[in-house]
Amino acid sequence: MQTHIISLLVEDQPGVLTRMSGMFTQRGINITSLTVSPCEKEGLSRMTVAIKGSERELEKVRKQISNLIEVVKVVDLGESEAIVRDLCLLKVHVKNSEARSEVMQLAESYGAKIVDAALDSVTLELTEEPERINRFVDLMRHFGVKQLFRTGVTAIGTGAGLER
Amino acid sequence: MTGVKLSGAEIVVEELKTEGVEVAFGIPGGVLLDLYDVLYKEEAIRHILMRHEQCAAHAADGYARVSGKTGVCIATSGPGATNLVTGLANANMDSSPVVALTGQVPTSVIGTNAFQEASTFTITMPITKHNFLVKRTEDLPKVIHNAFYIANTGRKGVVLVDLPKDILAGEAKVDLHPKETFAGYKPNIKPNQVQIKRVVEILAQAERPLILAGGGVISADATVELRRLAEFLSAPVVTTLMGKGAIPESHPLCLGMAGMHGQVYANRAINECDALLALGTRFSDRTTGWQLDQFAPDATLIHVDIDTAEINKNLPVDIPIVGDVKLALSEILKLLEKKRAKKSGSEWEKRIKKMHEACDSCVEDIPREGASVSDILIKEISKILDDDAIVTTEVGQCQMFAAHYYMTRKPRTFISSGGLGTMGFGFPAAIGAKVAAPDKKVVDIAGDGSFLMTCQDLATCVESDIQVVVCIFDNRYLGMVRQWQELFYEKKYAQTGLGVTPDFVKLAEAFGCYAERVEKPEELKDALNNAFESGKTAVLDMIVGKEDKVLPMIPPGGGIIGMIGTERCKHI
Repeated sequence: MQTHIISLLVEDQPGVLTRMSGMFTQRGINITSLTVSPCEKEGLSRMTVAIKGSERELEKVRKQISNLIEVVKVVDLGESEAIVRDLCLLKVHVKNSEARSEVMQLAESYGAKIVDAALDSVTLELTEEPERINRFVDLMRHFGVKQLFRTGVTAIGTGAGLER
Repeated sequence: MTGVKLSGAEIVVEELKTEGVEVAFGIPGGVLLDLYDVLYKEEAIRHILMRHEQCAAHAADGYARVSGKTGVCIATSGPGATNLVTGLANANMDSSPVVALTGQVPTSVIGTNAFQEASTFTITMPITKHNFLVKRTEDLPKVIHNAFYIANTGRKGVVLVDLPKDILAGEAKVDLHPKETFAGYKPNIKPNQVQIKRVVEILAQAERPLILAGGGVISADATVELRRLAEFLSAPVVTTLMGKGAIPESHPLCLGMAGMHGQVYANRAINECDALLALGTRFSDRTTGWQLDQFAPDATLIHVDIDTAEINKNLPVDIPIVGDVKLALSEILKLLEKKRAKKSGSEWEKRIKKMHEACDSCVEDIPREGASVSDILIKEISKILDDDAIVTTEVGQCQMFAAHYYMTRKPRTFISSGGLGTMGFGFPAAIGAKVAAPDKKVVDIAGDGSFLMTCQDLATCVESDIQVVVCIFDNRYLGMVRQWQELFYEKKYAQTGLGVTPDFVKLAEAFGCYAERVEKPEELKDALNNAFESGKTAVLDMIVGKEDKVLPMIPPGGGIIGMIGTERCKHI
């Protein structure tokens, strides 16, 4: 099972999200992550949906989603040909100053920003490819992750920026 | 018209008239008072008061299938709308163009569990092609226009418009009859030329061509083109249940229905062909069986459908053509007719003809157990009714007997619930059919189980003078399920015996209908004539064998050449 990222351009109307997610629900496909946001065109929104599934299953859903009246465009972004980003906020436990400096060092090497600090914790922000965030989070688990928030992936096609 | 001030209800009715709506099937309710107040004065739209909302949806569906126009049904909020659901799901599954208007509680109380509130918008989302919840009176012209545009273009289907009470009662200055539509909705109708050329080459070279015609051929009004192509290629035609009527079943090239309860030779032809042109069909498992290696294994599979999502959905195809079937067939014919027509009398044709004749003759030799007369009754009905008569069916054995034995001669004259398989569909669909074609005879082929699900609408027929004839195949069983229990569940008839059933003659008479009991097939002709001449809605209670079985059939899990009940078909 491969992760697929589907980028949708949809009319900014109530119900569009339910319609779209219903297509996956009906087929028992779990959405791994979902982002909805305004885009360059007024009245339209962009949804980025990450799902796990077989190529064949995905092809069927993709066509059925294209059929939705309020969906203007559907693009299946292969991971290799897209720039994929996820934003992560996490609160890491630091029991002493030694732990604190280790966390800060690791954060720096991953390019994570320190956005807040308390006596026994540090809050970090990292915007990266999902896989790299996974690795970073795994590292931080050694210190103790108190809270973890991720926005889910958003993605844009590489090159001239024209969507297929 | 620009900038006129109207109430929401007036806008709805104005737009309905613009869309050519002449009739609506519905039931009023509290939140619809404003709409019905406008309809009260409106002479251009005939409103037929149904006795159950499910029937309103089925009637609109039946009306749409017979006329090709969009059927309209109306129901109030809450229970009215939830009662519509089965009927809408049914119409949408069979790609029948229907617009449903539902009342909704005022916008100010939506989401508060107000009296008769249900979230119709979310409930109907997965069973409609599209739906709207209108939030502003000024949006109504665009919404109603788009509802009709979406319902009757591309792959046709159901569009529901949920109308809160304050939106109907409120006033707005609007421009009527807008043309505006959705950027993302482009019903794909023009077929790809390169693919068309490939198809023409395949068909011209095929030695054993076969055409599989689905409901799309009828809904695209492509039956003339289908017949021309079949005759030009001398290619036999098989149909799906929904495709019955795409070509006259009396035509020498028509092999009738294929699939689970289809003709043995139609299924054989699919198994043996070397090019299969599938038109407007979704390869439902009821058509293909479950052993897909038996379905056209040696054939180049060509699939023409207006819905991209149907391509490669159930079967992988060799040449897909996305587009309108009528256009695609015209293009294929244009190129093909530059070549020489196929001579009739090929080995393939001889083989088909031999199978066909052999089957027709052996049908007469079925060993009869007791009162097993269902097939005889259908053939009798087929003989008595003229070519234009419309037959609707309920669902189950009566439906499959009709599908197998009724000879459909014209498109839009065999109306059945294909995808959803809705018991109770046939009778209200007959009401819609009769309203669409008042000069034609309309007969519902019913089972006693199905008919009881929607028979309250006999009251509608009597009140609105809609003369249909219901022929009940009365076996006091939920026959199809009983048949499966007999064949696959060691005759344990769990909950399929109906036990004490009503006296259908008295029941019908109580509604004010004409009714008669038919004990033997030879009584049917007179009974049907009496029914038609009674000038009333009529019910014929036809007593059939309690344990009649619809055979042959593909057993669950089987393939199209693995039909059971073919002992009498040894020669093929």
